[in-house]
Amino acid sequence: MSKVISDQDFAHIVQLSNLEIKPEENFIKDQLSQTAEYIEVLNELDTQNVTPTFQVNHKKNVFRSDEVGESLSQDSALSQAPQSHQGYFKTKATIKK
Amino acid sequence: MNLNELNLQQARQGLREKKFSAKDLVTACFSQIKKHDQDINAFVSTFEKEALKAAESADISLPLGGIPIAIKDNFLTKNQLTTASSKLLDNYLPQYDATTIKKIKAAGAIIIGKTNLDAWAHGSSTETSDFGTTKNPWNQNHLPGGSSGGSAAAIAAHEAIIATGSETAGSIRQPSSWCGVVGFKPSYGRVSRYGVIAMKSSTDSPGPIAKTVDDAADLLEIMSGHDPYDATSIDEAPWKKPAPLSNLKGLKLGLPLCYFPPQIQPEIKEAILRSVEIFKKLGAEIIELSDVLDPKYSIAVYTILQRSEVSSNLARFDGIRYGHDRSFFGEEAKRRIMLGTYSLSSGYYDAYYTKAQKVRTLICQDFDKQFQKVDAFIGPVSPTTALKVGASKGQAMFGEIQDMLVEPSSIAGLPGISIPCAFDKNYLPIGLQIIAPQKREDIVYQIAKIFEDHTDYHLKKPTL
Repeated sequence: MSKVISDQDFAHIVQLSNLEIKPEENFIKDQLSQTAEYIEVLNELDTQNVTPTFQVNHKKNVFRSDEVGESLSQDSALSQAPQSHQGYFKTKATIKK
Repeated sequence: MNLNELNLQQARQGLREKKFSAKDLVTACFSQIKKHDQDINAFVSTFEKEALKAAESADISLPLGGIPIAIKDNFLTKNQLTTASSKLLDNYLPQYDATTIKKIKAAGAIIIGKTNLDAWAHGSSTETSDFGTTKNPWNQNHLPGGSSGGSAAAIAAHEAIIATGSETAGSIRQPSSWCGVVGFKPSYGRVSRYGVIAMKSSTDSPGPIAKTVDDAADLLEIMSGHDPYDATSIDEAPWKKPAPLSNLKGLKLGLPLCYFPPQIQPEIKEAILRSVEIFKKLGAEIIELSDVLDPKYSIAVYTILQRSEVSSNLARFDGIRYGHDRSFFGEEAKRRIMLGTYSLSSGYYDAYYTKAQKVRTLICQDFDKQFQKVDAFIGPVSPTTALKVGASKGQAMFGEIQDMLVEPSSIAGLPGISIPCAFDKNYLPIGLQIIAPQKREDIVYQIAKIFEDHTDYHLKKPTL
């Protein structure tokens, strides 16, 4: 594990996170390194033959019957959208023409 | 005594005996809010007109009929502003109620407002809120703790009769401890997460914050129960509080020695040891536990898993369907999203995320082992009493370190409670926590209730 997050790592993380980091927020990079260093403490524990626990109730594949239930109307679903168009949410284009 | 100072039991009795009306009760809470909340800043928004209207038609035969309740501002309330204390949601009017809100409304409670939290519940101080820091009613130069700091302060300042909080790792128990009120964190899955803005979905546990153990238990009864909309919800009937005990004979209480770290404030250690004497007098056998897994590992597990789940949960906030765009995230949310993105990214996933999930297994196994020796843990909630305003600034892991004594049980999904057990020399409250095996809220309630019955810390009120 690398404890120090490089400029290149940081730029990659910012991009994956879909965030914009202002130059005055660049100190976050060092804080990330500090946190990454702290969590190294887990390496003191041997977990070679341990199964991971993703949540403690160990439920898997919770299904429901295929019945139509209560749901939001189109108007209600769109009521909070900053922009909508003919009953649809308006988003930025994700594919170039 | 002013009506807003009543606890739930007293308020319910007074309403049913027609000593006062629901409107009187709601009015008393708003009068306290108007007098003090400009300083305390427990509320992000209040709904006086709606609350007074609801009071007029309150059905006091219902379990919470006519009772004013404060709701942490990460519970969705239909058509009522829900911000998670972030500017990103400062215009968000949810189209539906959280399951718990539906239940609370059906039980007759009157929502008087939404309380402040660390933005997105990221923190243990309320200092990361975009709407200002909440102040501790016991001393306004001090923090209330967090993330449910607004709810804990609202209860301590008698601005509401009962409140909701949510805990991911300490966010109910730590502010309750710092504000001298009762915070009951249920087992993971006992209370539905549906409609509570997701933080760390694998441990998020909504629950009550109240003035007494019975008040908290009564609200937990209403909030609990299986919810088909929450896939990790425990498939059982709503929890019912058991009959109280008259003594603790035959009960073994474990005192985990590593819950007294070197940096613990000496008065807190002394207060817990005095509480131990009370439990002994009540007949409990106290067993010192010297081999409990060090909480330092829980800090690291929590940090990795919380950041990872946050980076996924906050991905939905894109400003397309509701709220503003991602440029509205504050520094704390950005830091957490980025670390989570890092720990989940290709090349690091196994070293961080999978490793932490494996250590979670070890933490659960350690509790299983300890609970073969004892019925419950008792110990401090926080290594310090309420810190001064400003204490969290510039500390990337403030909350994690503050919450080290509540993180292990949160990670393992166990029920726990914080109850007032003393004051320090500055008259700031000290909290005692009780932790029981999964789904054993009954033990937590019984131990807390008998302790409260034999002490009077819960009756003290701050001078505002």
